[in-house]
Amino acid sequence: MGFAKAFGVMVYRQLKRFVKARGRLIMTFVQPLIWIFFFGVGMGSVFSFSNPVAESFIKQMFGGLDYMTYLTTGVVGMTVFLGSFISGITVLWDKQFGFLKETLVAPAPRSAVILGRAFGDTLVVLLQATIIALVAKAVAPSINLLGLPGALLYGFILGMGLTSAGIVISLRMTTPESFQVVMNFVMMPLMFLSGVFYPLDRLPEWAKAIATANPLTYAVDGVRYWLTGVSMHDPLTDLAVLIGISAVFIALAVYEFSKATIE
Amino acid sequence: MSDVVIVEELVKRYGDVEAVRGISFGIRKGEVFGLLGPNGAGKTTTIHVIATLLRPTAGSVLVAGHDVVKEAAEVRKRIGIVFQDPSLDWALTAWENMYIHGLLYGLSGEGLNSRIREVLEFVELWEHANRLVRYFSGGMRRRLEVARALLHSPELLILDEPTIGLDPHTRARIWDYIREVRKREGMTILLTTHYMDEAEELCDRIAIMDHGKIIAEGTADELKSLVGSDVIIARFDRPACFQSGPVKECRELPDGRVEFVVENAAKALPQLFEMAREAGLRIIEVSYRRPTLNEVFLHLTGRELRDAPAEGPRPFAMMGRRR
Repeated sequence: MGFAKAFGVMVYRQLKRFVKARGRLIMTFVQPLIWIFFFGVGMGSVFSFSNPVAESFIKQMFGGLDYMTYLTTGVVGMTVFLGSFISGITVLWDKQFGFLKETLVAPAPRSAVILGRAFGDTLVVLLQATIIALVAKAVAPSINLLGLPGALLYGFILGMGLTSAGIVISLRMTTPESFQVVMNFVMMPLMFLSGVFYPLDRLPEWAKAIATANPLTYAVDGVRYWLTGVSMHDPLTDLAVLIGISAVFIALAVYEFSKATIE
Repeated sequence: MSDVVIVEELVKRYGDVEAVRGISFGIRKGEVFGLLGPNGAGKTTTIHVIATLLRPTAGSVLVAGHDVVKEAAEVRKRIGIVFQDPSLDWALTAWENMYIHGLLYGLSGEGLNSRIREVLEFVELWEHANRLVRYFSGGMRRRLEVARALLHSPELLILDEPTIGLDPHTRARIWDYIREVRKREGMTILLTTHYMDEAEELCDRIAIMDHGKIIAEGTADELKSLVGSDVIIARFDRPACFQSGPVKECRELPDGRVEFVVENAAKALPQLFEMAREAGLRIIEVSYRRPTLNEVFLHLTGRELRDAPAEGPRPFAMMGRRR
């Protein structure tokens, strides 16, 4: 009964909540800007030389891009990664405030409820990513905004996957403190070993192994391809891997939520 | 069988704790059925199983002929529930909460809009429809939850401690709504409570629960007749029981007091004083009561309902904040 209705109403709810939570609204924009500003200005100055030989050497390291372009395109992917994961984790708040029970006792298909929720959150995150991309264009003029729809497609797949991952974790999580543990020991390393801030090809083997298993690596690479034309992998490979990883997380979230009780 | 709810030999275990230990009861169409008992008696666990939110360890539960495990979706369509802990979205308005609920229950369009207005007017919250739930008082939130549970016109309305933590005025108001719903919509209602007056005031039939079991079931009058007419409770300088004259039944309570069941306490008291004097007993305290459900509970368990300790796990501690 009413798959579309339930899906739609959860999208509606997530969007409404986003618009009303001004604090969250502001923070999600400010955080990536802080990265762009401090990392971009700091590292950008390290990597800028008046000597054209050194300059071209550096560019070669970043696939032919100047550091600001390299970084900001990565941050677009990172925004989706962090934003959607944290959105998924807000299921924990629904648990805390009881709204989760309201959705569990409803006759609407649980798969529709959880997919609608992930979709709504992903839309919000893509809006943020778009704004970050516009800011990036302002500081790194060589970015090609015509590639933005393509980049957002990669962002969408990553967003659905990471929201689902967040949902699975918060359904299993018993205390909000575990959220910090997951953030520090899983999300932070994945963020740094993804090619957002520096290229991966010179990393030690163990770090490369992590990067290879990291969904963000493929999202960042794909987004960078669409915005600059430069990428490490074939963008279709990126797409295929992202779809694979996200499908697993989405399936897990649907499964977990379908059999959720309040024990 | 026209019973809306049929519970048979229901058992629910959490680890090694048995919260519900093999209970059976039926709820007839159109009646208000109450589960009365102290905190930790297993009432909330029972209704969570009925509401498909917990899987029974053993036994079966049918709601309107549908099994709560195998046909959960069919059961969910037919019930409306007001949880003991809040379950509203505080970041949204009252109207938005209702709208989301409606769509989750398959309603939409003009029908949904007019029904939202109807139920919000019923609980006198229509003028607050566009306010954020965050700014609602506790009583307003409870009323909104009642309205939300009624929105999809369920066959069975489940109320878990509907007036817990409310001031007397709001409490009376919620009682009025419950009576009114029953009259207007002929809805079958299942409520849990640990307030005797609430059970007596609202319920056609009451099942008294204690330690995961139903220890008595019937109308308030039937339950009271278990005790007899009047009850005298006395404390002597040493425990003593006598069963003569007006005393129909006598027993010592665990706290050292003695319970006398008599036909008419006003007439029996002077005789009892006389008997105590003759037996050389000093009376330390004495009181008498017309039987209430509290006396029934005391009679059945040896404890007062009102000060029965909270026991057992709180099964959804993870879900909500303790109050």
